[in-house]
Amino acid sequence: MKRFLLLMAAAAMAATCLSFLANAEGRFDKKLSPDQQILQALNRLTFGPRPGDIEQVRHVGVQKWIELQLHPDQIPENPELDARLKPLATLRMDLAAIVKEYTPEPLQPIVLPAMTLNQLLPPEDMRKVQIGTAEERTAVLKSLDPDKRRQVLAALPPNVLAHTPEFQKEGEDARKLQQEEMQKENRRRNPQLNDLLNPDQVNVARSGNKEQLTALFAYLDPEKRPLVAGLLPPQSLAVLPELRRAGMFRRTPRLVASDDLKQAKVFRALYSNRQLEEVLVDFWFNHFNVDQAKNVPQTQNLEHLLIGSYERDAIRPHVLGHFKDLLLATARHPAMLYYLDNWESMAPGGFEVGPFAPNRGVVNGVPNSIIPSPLARQAHGLNENYGREVMELHTLGVKGGYTQDDVIAVARCFTGWTVRDPANPEFVFASFMHDFGEKTVLGHKIAAGGGEQDGLQVIDILGHHPSTAKFISRELAQRFVADDPPQALVDRMARTFTKTDGDLRAVLETMFTSPEFFSEGAWQAKVKSPFEMVVSAVRAIGGEASDTYALVQKIADLGEPLYNKLEPTGYPNTGDAWLSTTGIMGRMNFSTALASGLVAGVKLDSTRLEGNDAPAIARDLLGRDASPQTQAALEKGLEGTDHTAPFIASLVLSSPDFQRR
Amino acid sequence: MLTRRIFLRGSAIAMAGMGAVPSWLARAASVEGKKRKILVAIFQRGAADGLNIVVPFAEKRYRELRPNLAIAPPSGQTSASGLNIVGPNNGTTIDLDGRFALNGAMQPLKALWDKQQLAIVEATGSPDSSRSHFDAQDYMESGTSGKTMGDGWLNRALPTAGAETSPLRAVAMGSQVPRTLRGERQAIAVGDSQQFNLGNQDAASILENMYATSADAQWGRTGKDAFEAMKLIQSINRSPYNPQGGAQYGPSGDLGRSLQQLARLIKADAGIEAAFAEIGGWDHHGNENPQLSNVLRQFSGALAALCQDMGDRMEDIVLVTMSEFGRTAQENGNAGTDHGHGSFMLVLGGPVQGGKVYGKWPGLEKEQLFEGRDLAVTTDFRAVLGELICGHLGQKDVGPVFPGFQPSDPLGLLRS
Repeated sequence: MKRFLLLMAAAAMAATCLSFLANAEGRFDKKLSPDQQILQALNRLTFGPRPGDIEQVRHVGVQKWIELQLHPDQIPENPELDARLKPLATLRMDLAAIVKEYTPEPLQPIVLPAMTLNQLLPPEDMRKVQIGTAEERTAVLKSLDPDKRRQVLAALPPNVLAHTPEFQKEGEDARKLQQEEMQKENRRRNPQLNDLLNPDQVNVARSGNKEQLTALFAYLDPEKRPLVAGLLPPQSLAVLPELRRAGMFRRTPRLVASDDLKQAKVFRALYSNRQLEEVLVDFWFNHFNVDQAKNVPQTQNLEHLLIGSYERDAIRPHVLGHFKDLLLATARHPAMLYYLDNWESMAPGGFEVGPFAPNRGVVNGVPNSIIPSPLARQAHGLNENYGREVMELHTLGVKGGYTQDDVIAVARCFTGWTVRDPANPEFVFASFMHDFGEKTVLGHKIAAGGGEQDGLQVIDILGHHPSTAKFISRELAQRFVADDPPQALVDRMARTFTKTDGDLRAVLETMFTSPEFFSEGAWQAKVKSPFEMVVSAVRAIGGEASDTYALVQKIADLGEPLYNKLEPTGYPNTGDAWLSTTGIMGRMNFSTALASGLVAGVKLDSTRLEGNDAPAIARDLLGRDASPQTQAALEKGLEGTDHTAPFIASLVLSSPDFQRR
Repeated sequence: MLTRRIFLRGSAIAMAGMGAVPSWLARAASVEGKKRKILVAIFQRGAADGLNIVVPFAEKRYRELRPNLAIAPPSGQTSASGLNIVGPNNGTTIDLDGRFALNGAMQPLKALWDKQQLAIVEATGSPDSSRSHFDAQDYMESGTSGKTMGDGWLNRALPTAGAETSPLRAVAMGSQVPRTLRGERQAIAVGDSQQFNLGNQDAASILENMYATSADAQWGRTGKDAFEAMKLIQSINRSPYNPQGGAQYGPSGDLGRSLQQLARLIKADAGIEAAFAEIGGWDHHGNENPQLSNVLRQFSGALAALCQDMGDRMEDIVLVTMSEFGRTAQENGNAGTDHGHGSFMLVLGGPVQGGKVYGKWPGLEKEQLFEGRDLAVTTDFRAVLGELICGHLGQKDVGPVFPGFQPSDPLGLLRS
């Protein structure tokens, strides 16, 4: 069904694009002017030009600048970026440390010093009170001193006193007192704002401005600060990143890890000198998408902890390396193993020895304790999810020539590739889950008795498959050249892929030096995604971001919540998905807020555009002249009025011209 | 009451000041008089506890499974066990048919039940047994199993657009278009309608002209649609709005606000065919009853206000509610319930054959419960929705809307 729909969608798209393509095809051999080439390189290899970037690329030379971007280790990183990433501590911690420090403390039940009956009374008295006659109970209770009696009464179930009316009231009072003490203890552990602050302070905390909030928190005892921060909604602390983080840490520590990653993603897009590397990390994360919200049984928000390591350890090191290393790193990372369910995929019939077995133990040297509560889920056998997606989405493409039998065979090969434990999320090969039978994957025999090696063989087969070379090349060309890139270019890239054993840097080089990349067919052919629109706008206007909380929110509002795409397909690579009425209104409103200096955490140099006319401001923000129609609309609309530079800037950022790159 | 004709003329005049009359409005005016059927889907996110909302008070096991949580049987009734011990503060119920009772916090819906405009389907749900909010919502919104499709059932349930189709044909009363409404047909999120307000009138008119004259065909069209929708929403919002029949949206929280905004759009003949609204806060793992009463008051108050406000228009409107799954039949150790399976759906509106509890009641004995712990599902949610899609929206076949689903005999939820 899904495949059918994709075909339908492709057919529908082909039909609507046909007239456009007829023109565009021819234009992929029409060369851009030298000025256009500079802007083209900046628009595709970076998150949009900043003031001064065009001059810099012109100075270095386009080809040399591209070559440099392909070797990020030769580009000194921007010290401003390091400073901004510093408070985001999880970025620099290894996964085990993140898990340890950002997992919530288990809730401790409230235990009062109240004792149980057998601690309070000798056995004979206890019997009398609990199951004796009313007279016996009365006698014992009367013999106790008031303090002790209160304790005994509180520990007694109410129905015991039903026939001892004389102590009913006292019993009720005793229980009530105990209840109150429990509540008091609960309140002591979880103080509310009113317990921590006086009424004036509460008002400031809830709705104060930056200065008022800063003063209030400076005044508070240090140990009170995270408590107060934890009780405030994040938007109240929108302007105080460190307190916002501390508050989130108190409420939902695991969410801090994914939040750090989101903040960092925007900071890097805005400030990194190694722009191509950041564009590629964005591309490949999306290609091998995982979702922060993936549900891992009995371990709430676990995926939030894992995605930062996934990007840093599985994606980033390989974006300019060999494709099969990237594929392997994603296949083995806990974030992916959970996301596409491979962690629980096992040989059919493996129930007796698998992690779902009722008895725990050690099987083939691996502890049989991967699933915290074996009976909590009923299972199990093969899970085809990863086996399918690794071919459909990660390597061969949907028309890459695999069958349902291949899906099953690949899934069988990967059985046993799992995660040690949610509390210790690292890759482990669990042989007791593995299907040791013979498999045939895309015509290759994989002999019986293989083990972990089976999965590695699949990675090898998929990584070197001609369909993979074509599919990956096309995906890259779609991102960097045009939604429907010329086949000749894709073929040349695929040849490079095959010749170089999937060297992604070489494939990119083929693309970036191609005439198609610098052709009219590729010029302004890409619609910006919400993420690209927001960061390119901040870059264009020369905004300085001290905090990216509001920007991350805005990107989500515009339809691209970062690290939160449910489907393994990732966010769309093509423009049609982002052309929406709601989207354009949101972009216009964001542009207005940004240009007016109303986006929290982003500061503008208000003098930079002052005194310029509309064409000059458009040229500054777009890196080129606005289209004649946009220019005419600006001229007509601004005629005879006295509009400020920020107003004109908001119109330019809202224009159709700025929605493309 | 503002008639369609007056609105169309009024809007055209109002818009003349802002630029050209939207082409959609002109087209719509020409098909004036053609009645549009409206289907409103309301999602209760977080897994609502069906057993304490539509209470099976005649069932002995209900009280046994929930010694602390069971809601009192309707006054004058005793539970089947003959016991009539009512826990403190466990609220009241409103008898429906001697077997089921509405949670007392749903008093606002009683009048609709009596008018036979409210039908209840018991033991509904989806085959998804993940007990994951996320997976199960996704299943229910996409309307299909396994590999999720990118679009939602309510989008697929709409006919393909024609000349008289409004840019507001499918509206989500929230900041985003939810999965339920996403897809090929145009669907717009109408948050608190602030989104469709550019604030600066000068900027709006310059940008409208910029997009209208743009050589960028794709963005040009999108911009044009957006400005059409914006004008429509703004002109609707410009006139003061007075709910009819004493409808009170006010105390009903976000859902009340959403439905009031929807009511405005419907009454202004904005061309709505499908709408979506949602209400969260149903995930009661502890201290359930007071929280449930609170959210039920908002929920039923908002639904009742919309029905009241719509008056005779309810003849063309059907509302349907759903939640991703129900909760455990047995209470947990914190006076709450955990993730379960079967739940309930409400169907409201003029065309509804109401005043009746539909669906096969599976029972609460251990062997009758799903996996020994949750209310079983005897009516697939797609059966309910399918009946409305065919009977109300006039689709011939639910096959394309719910691929792979075989509908059984209709329940007969709508008057024929």
